[in-house]
Amino acid sequence: MAALDFDAELMLRVREGDGASFGVLLDKHRSSVVHFLFRMVQNRAVAEELAQEVFLRVYRSRATYEPTAKFTTWLFRIATHLALNALRDGRHDRSQERLDDDSGDLPARQVSDGRPNVEHALLNEARLEEIRRAIAALPEKQRAAVLMHKYEEMEYSQIAKVLNCSESAVKSLLFRAYETLRARLAHLA
Amino acid sequence: MVTPMNCPLETRETAELLLDYCRRRLSPERAAMLENHMQTCTACRGFAERQRAVWEALDGWEAAPVSADFDRRLYRRIEGETSWLERLSGRLRPLLAYRGVPVAAAACLVIAAGLLMERSATPVPTAAVAQKVNVEVQPEQVEKALDAMDLISEFNDKVRPEKPQAKL
Repeated sequence: MAALDFDAELMLRVREGDGASFGVLLDKHRSSVVHFLFRMVQNRAVAEELAQEVFLRVYRSRATYEPTAKFTTWLFRIATHLALNALRDGRHDRSQERLDDDSGDLPARQVSDGRPNVEHALLNEARLEEIRRAIAALPEKQRAAVLMHKYEEMEYSQIAKVLNCSESAVKSLLFRAYETLRARLAHLA
Repeated sequence: MVTPMNCPLETRETAELLLDYCRRRLSPERAAMLENHMQTCTACRGFAERQRAVWEALDGWEAAPVSADFDRRLYRRIEGETSWLERLSGRLRPLLAYRGVPVAAAACLVIAAGLLMERSATPVPTAAVAQKVNVEVQPEQVEKALDAMDLISEFNDKVRPEKPQAKL
């Protein structure tokens, strides 16, 4: 049997009633979970609400937790499940208005860094908008696969476990997703 | 000398090589093989260039920072979920340590339930009965009525002369 990853060990400590270990897990994975969900639903408030639910479910499951998979696989499986449900429920209605709201969530440097090159900042914002739209236009599973592949740097096998499909299915999802993105974004180079 | 390779774009399965190359995940040997192949394969070269452009574009997309009160909100929710039950069981625990207390509590519950059931079993007076109760004659009223009858009788006696004796 493979050695337990450190996160799984922490989770086992949480199971034994060690609240501090839950804090360590939260510190370690908070950003990646929130960022993944933010890129999935493209709304900061919804992403944080979903991320809270992810960690709440982790905490609730502490008593029955068994380290059968890598901790991050389990964590992202919960996150992906919630994100896909939220998108399907239509709780999060992607609209122009919300995209405009989200742009306010981005680091201020992009538009108000005080540099004289306002044109450059506007161009940059337009590029980001194009990227956000291209990602949002991907089918949900492809989107999740790309985000895990690109930003979480997960291997095909781990993405397959998160998405509960075969490794070859993941490769196919990624190939199709990047094909779409190349058609839409290659000109940004 | 670098070994020549089949074009990775011939199948989707091998196209992952190009994705991994742009992700810089290939071993130096495989990367060298692919670069060698791309010198002659314009399709693969174009694929790699466009994929790298996408990769760099995605690099520029920063996610919004996490709210400062994220942990506070989460811990409040966790506390809210666990506290009421744990607090209740925590408060009852010392009481449960005494053997007689649970029995007494159960007995109280049974008595309370019995009282409630008895109360609900008492018939509620109907409107007709209530009306009947309201029209019942009180003793004072009877006395007053009798006094009034006596007065009328006296009045009659004074106003009217005695009836003539019937002739025999």
